[in-house]
Amino acid sequence: MAEGYIVEMRHITKRFPGIIANDDISLGIKKGEIFALLGENGAGKSTLMSMLFGMYEPNEGEIWVRGKRERIVSPSYATKLNIGMVHQHFKLVSNYTIAENIILGIEPKRRLAGLLPMVDLKSANEKTAALSERYGLEVDPTRKIEDVNVSTQQRVEILKMLYREAEILIFDEPTAVLTPQEIDFLLKIIRGLRDDGKTVILITHKLEEIKRVADRCAILNRGRLIDVLDVPTTSTQTMANLMVGRQVDFSVGKPPAHFGREVLRVDHLTVKNRTGFPVVKDTSFSIRSGEIFAIAGVSGNGQVEIADAVAGLTPAASGTMILNGKDITHAAVRERTDLGISYIPEDRQSVGLVLDFDLADNLALKTYYRSPFCEKGILNPAAFDAYGEKLIGEYDIRSGQGIRTGVRSMSGGNQQKAIVAREIELESPLMIFVQPTRGLDIGAIENIHRQILAERDKGRAILLISLELDEIMSLADTIGVIYSGELLKIAPAERLTTNEVGQFMMGVKQA
Amino acid sequence: MTILTTAIIDGLSFALPLFIMAIGGIYSERSGVTNLAIEGLQGMGAFVGALAVTLLAGVFPAGSQAPMYLAMLFAMLGGMVYSLVHAVLCVKFRADQVISGVVINILAMALTTFLTSQINATVLGAPSNKFVLGTSNRFSIPGLSGIPVLGAVFTNLYPFELIIVAVAFIAWYVLYRTPFGMHLRACGDNPHAVDAAGVEVSLVRFRAIMISGALSGLGGICFAYSISAQFSPGIYMGYGYLAIAGLIFGNWQILPTLGACLIFGFARSGGFALTQVMGLKAAFSDLFMILPYLITLLLLVFFSKSNHPPRALGEIYDKGKR
Repeated sequence: MAEGYIVEMRHITKRFPGIIANDDISLGIKKGEIFALLGENGAGKSTLMSMLFGMYEPNEGEIWVRGKRERIVSPSYATKLNIGMVHQHFKLVSNYTIAENIILGIEPKRRLAGLLPMVDLKSANEKTAALSERYGLEVDPTRKIEDVNVSTQQRVEILKMLYREAEILIFDEPTAVLTPQEIDFLLKIIRGLRDDGKTVILITHKLEEIKRVADRCAILNRGRLIDVLDVPTTSTQTMANLMVGRQVDFSVGKPPAHFGREVLRVDHLTVKNRTGFPVVKDTSFSIRSGEIFAIAGVSGNGQVEIADAVAGLTPAASGTMILNGKDITHAAVRERTDLGISYIPEDRQSVGLVLDFDLADNLALKTYYRSPFCEKGILNPAAFDAYGEKLIGEYDIRSGQGIRTGVRSMSGGNQQKAIVAREIELESPLMIFVQPTRGLDIGAIENIHRQILAERDKGRAILLISLELDEIMSLADTIGVIYSGELLKIAPAERLTTNEVGQFMMGVKQA
Repeated sequence: MTILTTAIIDGLSFALPLFIMAIGGIYSERSGVTNLAIEGLQGMGAFVGALAVTLLAGVFPAGSQAPMYLAMLFAMLGGMVYSLVHAVLCVKFRADQVISGVVINILAMALTTFLTSQINATVLGAPSNKFVLGTSNRFSIPGLSGIPVLGAVFTNLYPFELIIVAVAFIAWYVLYRTPFGMHLRACGDNPHAVDAAGVEVSLVRFRAIMISGALSGLGGICFAYSISAQFSPGIYMGYGYLAIAGLIFGNWQILPTLGACLIFGFARSGGFALTQVMGLKAAFSDLFMILPYLITLLLLVFFSKSNHPPRALGEIYDKGKR
């Protein structure tokens, strides 16, 4: 390989039980560039970079840093090599202040009365503020982590790296949890880091972001390196095709809808949060069979609470909900499932799955008490296994050890496939999708969109809640725009433009 | 001496050993390791302390107070060494922390009872199931003890009460002001963050449990020197569990825990005082002994909602798990 690389990975192979995560990957990263790793979920991007950060060691191959071969045995060793990483799941102490989190492990010290050693929080606050200022991160060192939003927590993780004088900064799917405005802010910060001479490695499956900031981009597919491209001279379409390994169709190609009778009617629904503040206010809407009703809105305006209230996870403070003519306002969750509600929750890990159960058990989570899974109060493991095998096949759920795979170890895309499979198989008249494609790659998104449309065409009523305006515009038959807990506008999708929906979302335009 | 003064004096001398054991519990639990073993640790600590002074009885002149301080030292050592069982099981072998704690309690009770009888019979040649310690000297702080009512706080003190206050202050300082304390509290909230910061989580937890063992041992020997004047199986009265209740009501923080322990202490001494005032038979004092536990039940009803246990408490730390 050519000279001038700050990081070189040579013939890296990494195997996990049942899976080759990285298969003979060689690539070089130049000092001072933004290098993107693009690939679908499970393509091996995170694994590759976890090895650079010392979380795993490769089975084969060599890692060279600044022209020297290194065995990176631990994250602390990587830190010594000035390599830092922002993980998808932040590693922060929730009841500590921002500054305390940043200095954890390398605390500045002073002596009380010249004698007793103690942590010098004043100096920690000052250093944090100075670093934040220098890179435009806009954090207040004295606030507690549990009181700040996800975007700020991410910037704290960036500060942690900078405080440890990292020169090579790895970001693992940094935008998955951010709003569009926050993404803009983050990308600006990343550019600023590069301009300051840092080397940035960006793991992502969002093409648009790569196009906006990256200099070069490596494409991975199923553990193999497909190509390394110069980003400014390559089209998005080319990158997408290489990433998925086939031609990608960006348009969903939606057949016209055929509405039937009313399935769900929500009347004057009000939902209060834990502190008694109304987050959904006097909201009414209805969904017909064969209709996708999408709620658009900026995160935190009450859309998730509507879904939770219909699914029965949150009680309604007032108002009624009628499903197929039956009042379900006070029905328990299982009653609602039995009456016909499928629910794909926003948080697939804590609400959608039992992470320590295997795939077969998770696939039967909503039906385990019925025949054939349960006969006369006794569970029938054979039925679980057969059902699991069937769904894995039909829905192409990929996992290391088939139905015995613990879902914790599965990729986000496959976890979502498992939930969608389970909920579709309920054949409920009403299906609720909350952020169904959050954190998924193009291939998986395409797949879920097709499934949502297929369910619609089977005559199901679909409640879709999404923060991605593009998703709403391409799928919805009817759009409701929520702002501050109120549905400001409900209209057929073809009568609204993206721009108009955006204005309602910001509360600028009133119906 | 009025009944009120007695109640304050007795309440304090009961609350402070409870408090120091609770601080030990706070260390362990704030580091993320559930510690139900305090009961067993205090018993084992008291046993080792009592054994040391019993064996060395001839060395000291009669009436000397030195053996008591020696006993405290050995009690802390004994508690610390015994707590290694909990540390090894929970941190190294990732055993269930509740089961480990309960087993340690049962083992301590059985082992110390058996050893006390055996050592008395074989080494000392006097069959008995206890080590007689005698009670500690007491003293009053001149001037301060003369203040009406509140002066009781400075009257008839056991020396160990001062030691406990000093140790408690150091424990507070270490927990909230030093890097070690910072790492410890972080381990109880998000051990992954500590690991990512390059600090060894298991080492921090090991140390936290050992401190917990030492402080429990100190609490145990103080009880032996104040309440019973001896070491016997009677030391397992459930005070270790009461200390756990204290730290829970204290929301895993040192100062509020002091408040909880004082409430328990005064409830107990107040109960005794009440039997006297009402002229009840001594047998009724047993009934009043349940007061701290009764209060525990009541407090549980009111405080459970506002409690914030350390987020990672009781979770077995697995580096690979996200």
